[in-house]
Amino acid sequence: MRLRDDVDRILIPEDVLQARIAELAAEINVTYTDEDRLLLVCVLKGAFMFLADLMRHLEIRHEVDFMEISSYGTGTVSSGVVRILLDLAQNIEDRHVLIVEDIVDSGRTLDYITRNLHTRGPASLRVCTLLSKPSRREVEISTDFVGFEVPDEFVIGYGLDFAEEYRNLPFIGVLKSEVYTGS
Amino acid sequence: MRLPSSIERVLIDEEQIAERVQELAVRISADYTDEDDLVLVGVLKGAFIFLADLTRRLRVIHHVDFIALSSYNRGSSHTGAVRMIMDTRTNITGRHVMIVEDILDTGYTLNYLQRLFLARQPASLRTCVLLSKPDRRLVEVSVDYLGFEIPNVWVVGYGLDYADRFRTLPYIAALRPEVVR
Repeated sequence: MRLRDDVDRILIPEDVLQARIAELAAEINVTYTDEDRLLLVCVLKGAFMFLADLMRHLEIRHEVDFMEISSYGTGTVSSGVVRILLDLAQNIEDRHVLIVEDIVDSGRTLDYITRNLHTRGPASLRVCTLLSKPSRREVEISTDFVGFEVPDEFVIGYGLDFAEEYRNLPFIGVLKSEVYTGS
Repeated sequence: MRLPSSIERVLIDEEQIAERVQELAVRISADYTDEDDLVLVGVLKGAFIFLADLTRRLRVIHHVDFIALSSYNRGSSHTGAVRMIMDTRTNITGRHVMIVEDILDTGYTLNYLQRLFLARQPASLRTCVLLSKPDRRLVEVSVDYLGFEIPNVWVVGYGLDYADRFRTLPYIAALRPEVVR
């Protein structure tokens, strides 16, 4: 497959990824009860694949809702100012909410979403992210369930894209720098 | 396997779903082997699990996009009127587009979507549906890739819900009729 030629190296292979997702789900299973009626909030597009696999391991009662947001800024640096393209279908007042993200980078987007959802009065609000890049953090943000900490490299696959490509790779890879610098 | 009490029986188990999704992915990959601008458009919420599994098995380059729709008529009956909650991010004009949907029932939703998308003049438009209930059809809809035909029972799991419950069961199951009001 042509896409794989653009991958510099595999950072997290498929089996390691899946094993870790099962562990995260086990942590979530003991954090909530059926009575909590946990609501998973998936931030599109990146997190949909993670969500699909995470849910398969959840044994507690839960529901799913989606948000799609867009940064006003262009390019690969998030400005932190966020526009909501798709808001939640559900009212989250007094609900136990778990935000499901693919990656926390600067933290600005997640910080915005978290503050926005807090104003709606949820019973609890936690964050589950597959990947975190702590070296890139610009705002302090609490993440309750973290799959992997990754170095500051251009990661793709498993929902993460570059210009809409590579999302469907079943592993997390590092993109060759010549692909995104164009040289 | 312990079934939730609202579930009557499993119609299609996890293994059967995985096999069929793989077969569909092989066919789609063969059909689009010469194209490099395929866009899969998943219909939220129901189709996202199917899409997550399908996209990983495709061997052709493609993009993924989502739309969210809502029926004006709440509940399980359809009047045919569909409201677009979130449109695609991609401009599909001139692109090869494939709608990915969890279930084809009366056909109103897909019929609406197909007409809407065709008006945007994509290079081609195909539809991939995991489940179809032919007994329920009220308008004709062309489907290019179909997972399973199922009887006219209320199904849940693998993306399909009843009042937002049972959506994430890994299999497709029939709900007990007395549960559905």
